Amino acid sequence: MKSAYAVVSFVLAATLLIPAPASMAQNDSRTVTVFAASSLTKVFTSLGSKFQAAHPGITVRFSFASSTTLATQISAGAPADIFVSADIASMSSVAAEVPHPIDYLLNQVVVAVPKGAKIKRISDLNGGAKWLQCAHSVPCGLAADSALKSEGTVMSNPVSLEGSDASALAKLLAGSVDAAIVYKTDVIANPSKLTAIPFANTAAASTQYKLGILAQSASAKSHWAQTFLLYLKGHSAKKLLASSGFTLSQ
Amino acid sequence: MKRRRTDPVTRLLAWLAITVIALPIIAIFVKVPWSTFFTSLRGDGSLTAVKLSIWTSLLAGLICLILGVPLAWWLAKGGNRVTTILRPIVLAPIALPPTVAGLAMLGLLSRTGLLGRPIYKIFNWQMPFTTTAVIFAGVFVGLPFLVLVSESTFRQLPREVQDAAEIDRATPGQVFRLIAIPQSKSGIVTGLVLAWARILGEFGATMMFAGSLPGTTQTWTMQIYRELDISQDTAYALSLLMVLISVSLIFFLRKPITQAFAS
Repeated sequence: MKSAYAVVSFVLAATLLIPAPASMAQNDSRTVTVFAASSLTKVFTSLGSKFQAAHPGITVRFSFASSTTLATQISAGAPADIFVSADIASMSSVAAEVPHPIDYLLNQVVVAVPKGAKIKRISDLNGGAKWLQCAHSVPCGLAADSALKSEGTVMSNPVSLEGSDASALAKLLAGSVDAAIVYKTDVIANPSKLTAIPFANTAAASTQYKLGILAQSASAKSHWAQTFLLYLKGHSAKKLLASSGFTLSQ
Repeated sequence: MKRRRTDPVTRLLAWLAITVIALPIIAIFVKVPWSTFFTSLRGDGSLTAVKLSIWTSLLAGLICLILGVPLAWWLAKGGNRVTTILRPIVLAPIALPPTVAGLAMLGLLSRTGLLGRPIYKIFNWQMPFTTTAVIFAGVFVGLPFLVLVSESTFRQLPREVQDAAEIDRATPGQVFRLIAIPQSKSGIVTGLVLAWARILGEFGATMMFAGSLPGTTQTWTMQIYRELDISQDTAYALSLLMVLISVSLIFFLRKPITQAFAS
């Protein structure tokens, strides 16, 4: 039964080998892993490349998704160094993992429509328009709910509840809908394609972004995670965030 | 041989069926940005995701082969109650919704899971969010395809050949290794390729179980989903490669596939 031994030893060898790449990536202190709200995709990607250009050999990798999804993954033990949520609730839900978050940015949801669209006012969403917003569980959806409630005039229902701000924006840009409740910053990032119709009650439409480093990465071992955290809080990052339409906290 | 004609209604429905399947595939070819095809593939993380998908799916396929062929032989030989009960369980992932499969694997292997909790306590390690999770999910969804096709091929083996071998005092192990496997090679390969295609296309269960992190767990299909939010051109380009792989696999294996499912 020589071949049976060969097969068994191969399976054992394979199972021993498999975890290697994964654990390598986790322990590599030259890689900074950032979990960030999907509305930060564009700005953070460019901040990441700038940081990498200034620090050769350091890799910043991002996982962009809805803040709630990211928070769930972090509390399940996902290998993140830094977490940026688009609301307070998602950050609070990982208080054990991210003990000292700070107020980072403010953003507002707006009704975004393609340039030259028939929809001019928020109440126009009632006229048979096909519009969508984020799901009631994610920050951009919660802000949309509270903004719509403050307006009190929209009686129609969205055609879809998207899982993240990025996917709501993608469907609007692809022309699948007439309007979408997304962030002001999404409209500013697409000036030639979109126009924003703001809600009258800015406070109701606002959401507070939080920034924090995970407890396990705050230890001295993760020098580069801490360096990137400082960079995100620093002058040049704030300049880019402000020009992208975010309001800086502090 | 004289060709039998089909009636017009049947033909019409057949063409309708072809349209439903073919038009969406054609749409991908039309929407692909041919002028920027290669630059859109080179961008941000696409290659990393494709590479990760290819090596993890090949490894998962290999594990399916090592574990699945003996299981298929055992199911084909055994006529007892145990195999009758086990067969539907083994084949269940084929019909299982991806979200349920993902949740099932989390329930077993996450830090708070059935097996995951003791593993985490002893090794301070958990499978979710690692490349191992991608491979595990691949084996979970791929294995049933390999077992299904291999078992059906094993069942087509002539009884007399096995009897003759046993009369010549061949051990059960020898019958399996020297007769069953070589005789059923094309069926096993077909099962392996179908399993591999399923593993390569895996999305929902892996995303739930392994997460989506560039370089570690973000696979080809997850990259397509991600690119939908960033660059639809890249999403179409990545999708076209997938279409080419699956269509060519099915084309080259059309004969053995039909044979394997004929029994």
